[in-house]
Amino acid sequence: MTTHPNLAVITRYAAGGSGLDDATVWSVEVHLEGCPECRAHLAGSTTDDTRALLDRVAAGLDGGIAAGPLPVGRRQPWSAVHRRWLAWALLPWLTMTVAVLGCAFLLEALRPDQPSLLLLLAPVAPLPGVAVAWSRRADPAWELIAGTPAAGITMLLRRTAAVLAVVIPALALAGAGSGVSLALMLLPSLAFTAASIALGAVVGVRRAAAGVGVLWLLAVVLPSVVIEKLPVILEPGSVPVWALAIVALAAFAASRADGYRRLSSHR
Amino acid sequence: MPGVRRSLDAVDEEDLVRRTAAGDRRAFDELYRRTSPWLAVRLRRRCADDDVVADVLQETYLAVWRAAGGFAGSAASGSALGWLWTIAANRLVDAFRRRARQAQVPPVPLAETVAPAAEDEVMAGRVGQELEQALLVLPPELRQVLRAMVLDGLSVRETSLLLSVPEGTVKSRARRARIALREALS
Amino acid sequence: MMRTVSAAETAPTTHPWVVHTEGLRVRAGRHLAVDGLDLALGTGVHGLLGPNGAGKTTLMRALATVVKPAGGRLTLLGEPVDGRSDLRRVRRGLGYLPQQFGFYPRFTVREFIEYMAWLKEMPKTVVPGAVQRAIDRVGLTAKANARMKTLSGGMLRRAGIAQAIVNDPEVLLLDEPTVGLDPEQRLDFREMLRDLGVDSCVLVSTHLVEDVVAACTDVVMINEGRLVYQGTPDDLITQGGQGDAGDSPAERGYSALLRRHRAGTGR
Repeated sequence: MTTHPNLAVITRYAAGGSGLDDATVWSVEVHLEGCPECRAHLAGSTTDDTRALLDRVAAGLDGGIAAGPLPVGRRQPWSAVHRRWLAWALLPWLTMTVAVLGCAFLLEALRPDQPSLLLLLAPVAPLPGVAVAWSRRADPAWELIAGTPAAGITMLLRRTAAVLAVVIPALALAGAGSGVSLALMLLPSLAFTAASIALGAVVGVRRAAAGVGVLWLLAVVLPSVVIEKLPVILEPGSVPVWALAIVALAAFAASRADGYRRLSSHR
Repeated sequence: MPGVRRSLDAVDEEDLVRRTAAGDRRAFDELYRRTSPWLAVRLRRRCADDDVVADVLQETYLAVWRAAGGFAGSAASGSALGWLWTIAANRLVDAFRRRARQAQVPPVPLAETVAPAAEDEVMAGRVGQELEQALLVLPPELRQVLRAMVLDGLSVRETSLLLSVPEGTVKSRARRARIALREALS
Repeated sequence: MMRTVSAAETAPTTHPWVVHTEGLRVRAGRHLAVDGLDLALGTGVHGLLGPNGAGKTTLMRALATVVKPAGGRLTLLGEPVDGRSDLRRVRRGLGYLPQQFGFYPRFTVREFIEYMAWLKEMPKTVVPGAVQRAIDRVGLTAKANARMKTLSGGMLRRAGIAQAIVNDPEVLLLDEPTVGLDPEQRLDFREMLRDLGVDSCVLVSTHLVEDVVAACTDVVMINEGRLVYQGTPDDLITQGGQGDAGDSPAERGYSALLRRHRAGTGR
């Protein structure tokens, strides 16, 4: 803090007018912003018309405060407020996902000789949530959000993380309960999430998630249930393949990061 | 309030704002008592129309009353006075904008070109001897722009409204001031 | 406290127009709603007029960077807006109120505007003051802490305008902002528009010709995605004669221009 100006300078500052040169006024103003004692001196040296002005304003303030709303308490951080909305929008879809997983778990317990339905469904488990989290229809304010600087891949990732925060523990619990390898449960679902996001740069995330999900269900789940054998890509040895896929897809999505600036699909 | 009326003397301004956010009218009144003289004097040195200054002061403190919660809640709060000045400066610019439209631009006090008196040389509180000499050498219109942008924290658009000068002129004056200061200080 | 002024801030402005389009083409679904539009807008309030289906909303969306143009050139605040540009910087200087303004019902007015301010990447310390200022400017001070779902149509629109101006944008895009406002509110709104037009570029799309004449410095008329007319409201009035449809001189001018444009395109 700069050294205190003496009282005469403060009095001349308070008086206004051209009693002080610009440079001194500048240093006084810089100093006053940080020094309560000098401000108190200033309060003591104000001119009569300044005091009259302040009294006028104080009276007006009384009226304004009485007429208006009370001050609001401490705010929550914005992310908490937003999360509240997101939770409401995602709740039905996440409940459905967890319910389906629960049923698969039960079926497996009842028919242990069948190929693990949990393992077959795990990859597509996060997809409904991801599709909804990044969908125009689910977000009432999408048009407002679409024009803001924050719209882009970070927002997408934040919402995806919210979905994964529910789905991954559910998958882990179900997998632990039925004795299936945890890596084999979780990695494919992460890979499919990454695939939806990466493809989303080209065709829009909702379409990508739906397409990938349907493709998996038709091409892999259905034949496996019919043939009663797990597909090769879900064997324990395929874990490194899945890990590599996640890295590659994430890299692709990152390279196209600017393509996510517009929330509507590529058209 | 039960029993003892605790003195607010030891409470600093940031805490006063936080208490205002909780609805404490006494804390708000104390904040007003402590900061309004400073704000009023500073505003009067930027606008010679007392009615405008009174309106700006009233709007500023009403905004403080209503929005104190936001200041109290943010992590990197910074100085309460900096926050107060930002609100006041914005309201001052809004007032100038309203009146510019109605072609009643409130007068800005003329820039001072007073040479420092001999006894001023020994007064304390100077930012830096060289910077000050450099400032005094600048023409008054450049000093005004510098004060608005650097000291008051206004943007180019806001400065142009406050000084009733086109944005292009504000920018060129700011550039000239920077060049002149750099020369004077080197 | 003193702040540093960057060189970029004081660099001379190289772009003559704040909003500039050349041969702009924008799709809405399959249909080419904006078809070769040349527009140049500077500071002031510009009224956007045109019949239904003229492409007004699509144009607004393209200017708000919500929708990618299909062709032509769009330059906002001196920056070209195309597939590869950095939209974040442009979006920080934009404010947009869409026609169908969606919101989160459980948010309070203040929370909603704060959330939008956060999305517009405003510095955190500035947000509370800016939000209060926006609330005061639109006249929602008494209702600042009410939930959005409890607001009437006119107040909701005002909240929408508040979120658009919270970041003090240089380009303000308002799509049918007077829908649902009673005549007194519309007068207040015109006052506010005139205020905003002093130092920013405001484009207001509206059906009501009187709104345009009363508050706008400039009238832009489009039909079938092309520019029909651009000039002052007084010039618009001179375009019409006694034989044209309309209850006011401005409406007569509007229908005269529309008639001539339709005759010119052989429709």
